[in-house]
Amino acid sequence: MRRISSWSVIPPLLAILAILVIWQLATTLFNIRDWILPSPVQIIQEGMEIYPRLWAHSLSTIQIALGGFAIGVSVGLALAILLHLMPRAKQSIYPLMILSQNVPIIALAPLLVLWFGFGTLPKILIITLVCFFPVAVSLIDGFRQTNPTLLNYMQMIGASRRQIFFKLEWPSALPYFFSGLKISATYSVMGAVIAEWLGAQEGLGVFMTVASSAFRTDQVFVAIFVIMAISLILFGFIMLLEKWLVPWDTDRKGADDDDE
Amino acid sequence: MKKILLPLILVLLLAACGGNGGEEPADTESLTEVTFVLDWTPNTNHTGIYAAQAEGYYEEQGLDVEIVLPGEAGAEQTVATGNGDFGISAQENVTQARLQDVSIVSLAAIIQDNTSVLASPEEYGLETPSDLEGHTYGGYGSPIEEETIASIMQADGADIENVDIINIGDTDFFTAVQRDVDFAWIYYGWTGVEAELRDFPLNTIDFTEYSDALNFYTPVLITNEEMLENDSETVEAFTRATAEGYQFAMDQPEAAAEHLLAAEPDLDAELVMASQEWLTDVYQGDAPYWGHQEHDVWENYMSWMHENGLIESELDVDQAFTNEFLPGEE
Repeated sequence: MRRISSWSVIPPLLAILAILVIWQLATTLFNIRDWILPSPVQIIQEGMEIYPRLWAHSLSTIQIALGGFAIGVSVGLALAILLHLMPRAKQSIYPLMILSQNVPIIALAPLLVLWFGFGTLPKILIITLVCFFPVAVSLIDGFRQTNPTLLNYMQMIGASRRQIFFKLEWPSALPYFFSGLKISATYSVMGAVIAEWLGAQEGLGVFMTVASSAFRTDQVFVAIFVIMAISLILFGFIMLLEKWLVPWDTDRKGADDDDE
Repeated sequence: MKKILLPLILVLLLAACGGNGGEEPADTESLTEVTFVLDWTPNTNHTGIYAAQAEGYYEEQGLDVEIVLPGEAGAEQTVATGNGDFGISAQENVTQARLQDVSIVSLAAIIQDNTSVLASPEEYGLETPSDLEGHTYGGYGSPIEEETIASIMQADGADIENVDIINIGDTDFFTAVQRDVDFAWIYYGWTGVEAELRDFPLNTIDFTEYSDALNFYTPVLITNEEMLENDSETVEAFTRATAEGYQFAMDQPEAAAEHLLAAEPDLDAELVMASQEWLTDVYQGDAPYWGHQEHDVWENYMSWMHENGLIESELDVDQAFTNEFLPGEE
């Protein structure tokens, strides 16, 4: 298993490398101006030059993203369990959950700033809003997929509601929970950047605003690369966590990862 | 009969599918289509353009002008890529843009003096740059803000290190200064006038009092270098008609404001009227004619930006602006 997974890293790395090479060649070959599309080499050089400043901004974004992610996931988790245990409540609340995802962030963020100012609270709220949903929905789905035969069996031998939940439903929904978690993780970084972009003291969102109004497209790309890297690290961390916590779920995972 | 019918239907279908092109009346076909990108939502800085449009000055010059909002990309990039032919920018942006190879050129100063100020509610007592210490500034995300405020604070014996800076994005000034920030950068002719109307007393700090270099042109009319080289007739026609529009705005502010309101009915009519009144004498200021740009103003501000590390190298400002197309030049 180990061997296969380390080999599987190579194709995507090659694809990324190929894209970077084509990008680099295209910008030189067609003589594309820096402010329209800087070359990868230039972006990396710029990134190294502004590293200290960039790090301070990144740190602030990471903090907010992680904070919002943690709260969003907790809310999603709590909501999913609650709705699963109370089917009546599910009927009335589930549509509301979906509605919450139809509120355009770009319209909501300025309002949150209006109500709560430029501090951490409105940003955490935005990230919570985008993060709770994938977790809640996939977990509810997961609960629904519980093996009916096993459920029947447990009920037959007189297992309590509590036992059914912890011994059967929760473990079998866990892979679904991780699917939701991975989606939320990538959303959290994006949510943090959008929130900062609409009003903040520091962070990658602020950095991008200033860079783009100074016509520094290379710096905008540096920020994009950093955002992708943060998302990727967060994603990888959750995958590791999944391997550790859900070791039995090796069959399903391959198919599931493809879905995302 | 059938032989004629089929092509006819096809032509009609094509015309219907043509979108913008198809809807235009036949007589505008001879007009040159021109896209004009604003710097911001429509306001009284733009009155001359709306007046030129409504009074038919563009048409007289053979132009069919479409006015568009900038979106996130900004007028400078849109114009430089040729996705817009003309636009509104500001001297500091043109300077920075040109150094990044964004090849835009200023054709006219829309307002002669820098009417932007640092404003705060009167009760905060921020009357001079040194009063700003210990307070919070709400910025709009431009790299020049910090250095500009730093330099006037320094001139007044204070240090920007003691000011908190928050990017407030598009948040409305009145909301921002009543919440988390104490002062912000406004155009007096719009937000300042609004404050007067609302009976919201402001303290304002005028940059130009502390440094002559800070009396730069904001906003300015821009086009791209390619237009200048290949289609100077359109540039001339456009600049001429726009100048006429601003002349109209100066001669008949009320009628010009009506034109702006007719084009943008969502604007607050009272504010537009009052702002127009305020700007009437300010558009041209002490200049010999509307739109005139001084070499020194460009040079001094560019040097200031360079000295303060906002630009990495010096810029040949003679390429950044031209008065050539202004009617007053003759």
